[in-house]
Amino acid sequence: MLRLLKVRGESLWPDFHEGDYVLAAGVPFPAHRIKPGDVIVFRQPGYGTLIKRVHRVLQDGRTYDVRGTQVVSSDSRDFGPVPKTRVSGKVIWHIRSD
Amino acid sequence: MFHKVFQQIDQHAHIDVVDAHCDIPCGIYDPHHALIGALTVVRMVDLINAKVKEHGSGSTAEFINSMARYIATKEEHAELTKHEIRVIWGDFIKAPHVEAYPQLPGLVHKIMQLGSKARQTVDRETALDLLEAVNEFAEIFWQIKEIETKRVKAPYSVTEEMVIPVL
Repeated sequence: MLRLLKVRGESLWPDFHEGDYVLAAGVPFPAHRIKPGDVIVFRQPGYGTLIKRVHRVLQDGRTYDVRGTQVVSSDSRDFGPVPKTRVSGKVIWHIRSD
Repeated sequence: MFHKVFQQIDQHAHIDVVDAHCDIPCGIYDPHHALIGALTVVRMVDLINAKVKEHGSGSTAEFINSMARYIATKEEHAELTKHEIRVIWGDFIKAPHVEAYPQLPGLVHKIMQLGSKARQTVDRETALDLLEAVNEFAEIFWQIKEIETKRVKAPYSVTEEMVIPVL
């Protein structure tokens, strides 16, 4: 399943900007295996639906350490690893606003 | 081109938002509070000097009470100015902005120092220097956002110039 989404916020600046659009492919699909460097969309209680870059796939293979590019980004440093069950997609197309 | 297409789609069929949050949802920054703080410092300096002129250095309870309130407000607003500039500097200003406006680091440092000096003294020139530095910062801030500015006389008890966006 594919989802078109609009980016809000600058925690992935300069890679992603407010107003960019992304096409996220639902997981799991073998072709969309999540690996470090991928940008994923996931649901985080208390935060809503977030977009972050995968920093590490943890040893259990079912959780991801996600990060933004900004020091003040809200990411796994705040809310811990993200379980695979909360991941709704992996970004496969990025439509820039600039 | 694709972005324009998707924008049009977004206008007709609402596209869901995905958040790239920072410490709080980003996007609301404005040097207005810093300017209000700097203008308040000017006003407090005026009130302090007027009170001394009126009463000399008399130590009546009324004099001491008024002076304490003016000084506390001056302290608070000088610090407010520094705080607001620090937040914009830390959270909004990015490396490309500093490249485009190389005077920014020096200007921010100047505001920090003038803010401290404004707390230490009752010197009107220092308060005006602080206000002018914040005005220069505000002009750069709005230029970064590609929004025009103009200088207007502040519509308050002090009527020094302040920079406002033309919206």
